[in-house]
Amino acid sequence: MNDLAATLPPGSRTTPTSVVIVEDDPASADVLQRRLQANGMKVAVGRDGGEGLALVREIVPDLVLLDVMLPDTDGYDVCLRIKSDGAVAHIPVIFLSARGEVVDKVRGLSCGAADYVTKPWNAAELLARIDAVLLQARNARAPRLEPQAARPQRARPLAQIALKDEARRVAAEKLLAPRFDIARDGSNAVDLLLVDDGATPDRGRTDESTAVLVIAKGSESPSTEFARLDGDLARHAELLVREMRLVRDMGAAADVLITLATSLEAHDRFLMGHSQRVAARAVFIAGLLGLDQAAVGTIRLGALLRDVGNAQLPPPIVHKAGELTPHEREAIERHPLLGEELLRHVSPLAAILPIVRWHHERLDGGGYPDGLHAEKIPLEVRIVSVADQFEALLVDRPDRAAVSEQDAVRILQGAVGRGELDPAVVAALAAQVRTGGSVEAEQ
Amino acid sequence: MKNIVLDSTSDTARRYEHRFLVNEAVARLALRTSGTYLPLDRDDRPYQWSTTAYLDTYDWRIFRAAETGQALQLRVREYHRTRPNEILAGGSVYLEMKDDSASTSFKERYEVPTMALPAYLRGEQKLPRDQNGLVERAERTIAGGVRPVVVTQYNRIAYSAPDASMRITADHNLMYLAVAWVANDESSMPCRIGPVIAREPGVIIEVKWFQELPRWADELYSYIRDHMVNERPSKFVVALRHLLGEEQKGLAQ
Repeated sequence: MNDLAATLPPGSRTTPTSVVIVEDDPASADVLQRRLQANGMKVAVGRDGGEGLALVREIVPDLVLLDVMLPDTDGYDVCLRIKSDGAVAHIPVIFLSARGEVVDKVRGLSCGAADYVTKPWNAAELLARIDAVLLQARNARAPRLEPQAARPQRARPLAQIALKDEARRVAAEKLLAPRFDIARDGSNAVDLLLVDDGATPDRGRTDESTAVLVIAKGSESPSTEFARLDGDLARHAELLVREMRLVRDMGAAADVLITLATSLEAHDRFLMGHSQRVAARAVFIAGLLGLDQAAVGTIRLGALLRDVGNAQLPPPIVHKAGELTPHEREAIERHPLLGEELLRHVSPLAAILPIVRWHHERLDGGGYPDGLHAEKIPLEVRIVSVADQFEALLVDRPDRAAVSEQDAVRILQGAVGRGELDPAVVAALAAQVRTGGSVEAEQ
Repeated sequence: MKNIVLDSTSDTARRYEHRFLVNEAVARLALRTSGTYLPLDRDDRPYQWSTTAYLDTYDWRIFRAAETGQALQLRVREYHRTRPNEILAGGSVYLEMKDDSASTSFKERYEVPTMALPAYLRGEQKLPRDQNGLVERAERTIAGGVRPVVVTQYNRIAYSAPDASMRITADHNLMYLAVAWVANDESSMPCRIGPVIAREPGVIIEVKWFQELPRWADELYSYIRDHMVNERPSKFVVALRHLLGEEQKGLAQ
């Protein structure tokens, strides 16, 4: 083991936490420094407020431990200076002081400190407080973004020209004017943003449907993202905007497909509303398992469209109440492939194709159509499969009565035990059912 | 093949290991008594979080064996000062193989780089052979396909004899949690810990020793037995019973 590793607690062989101690008493500073170093931290000591502040600005540590009584100023002043300097304001400060009156603590905390510990400190307590403060600092929420600007229906696309050079800006405006309106001010999202090569686009008036076109400086060939300030600019820009609109419209097409898929269910009293319930359940499970927003969106859409292939099967088979013949079963088991075939050419729906194709696969390889095993089945698919089976158990079917949510969970846990379903997914579902949907936030 | 082991420890003999669920008052008395005779295992961090991901095959071979009282547990252990919300986020982890029977155990423990773990789970990375044959047995299980299936988290206070001849631990806030493992590849790490499956209502006291308990420990052991809520199987067994909805089975025993 190397030296650094030896000083760190197991399981955390990462960059050591850096700490600045501001303490005028050498003996106290030395004891504290040694104790922190023994726990894997990198420590620097400032002997007064000025020196401490300089160290904080130079090192930009993870944490500042600050005495209140200092020779040149007091700790409150140092804390306020740290908290009003944008470059270091994010660094948490813990006061360490012999002053233990409530007013001292309140004053320290009101200066922006994260915690206040009185001397003589206990090592275990101090380290626990340091850990808690560092964790909070790491998990600080990012500032909320302003809501995206509204995108109204417009006859002509709206362009924003963000070129630095005035002459180039005027030239671009002239070239675009025949086909675009030019944004002057206002808050509407634009359809096209023109930027200089190498510039960072200002996203203030853009949204996910805004086309960004870079104006080449030199000899770059025009491409999807690059254009020149010449007579071809307006046509090039218009094509790009149309392409973005097409992608947006594909999303709308997905909505149409969802309507198609759910209307198939509307003719079957056993299936009515099933897809929406599966989607809602799957989204909830995905949230409990901590999947990101993109994955949750894919799961929702995939759950809604997973059975769209049924539209290509004879309705009497899809809606048959009794037991299926082998021939009918064979036909039904083709619906994942038919659904995938139907959606394959809708490029914005590419992410949901695995859900459509594999939502009847099982971890033990006993599913269809491909007999995939275990982790070959993506997690998103495993979530939709569980939600699908769970929701199916809750409604009456011609061949069996509905069961309660608790019984449905037990049935699915049995399937986990047989190696068919994902244990974490069913555990998340069980947690949701157990708590009536208000699963405690564990993280 | 490159040696990935950063550090390792190995039991030289079978260790007696008994677990009890007790209430807070009994736990406090047990800890006070233990603290009189044994030093704290970790001076400054008595309440650090222990996070353990247990592995099993897709057909639950390890759990089914554990239910019969004889299993080789495979687990990945991490320690943190504050409770983490993901596993396998640090630079290294402890890979443990524990031959667990009703009242004794045998353990091999290897500290390995976290990034080497997926290759180990895929059977592509091997560990050096141990004298007790646990590594070889683990490899046979891994060949059948394993993945993390459940996680436990708890605050542990441990008192250990300087010569490691005995150890008494108290686990507070013990939770069993789901883990949404994607696949045995590097992109699956770190992996977010899922919702809580169950919580222990009290404190788990574990008494572990090699030869014979000293008189004071023997008396403490008897006291705990007399005042326990119940005796516990391993955390792995309890966790899996909850995961598979078989907790009633445990109550019936």
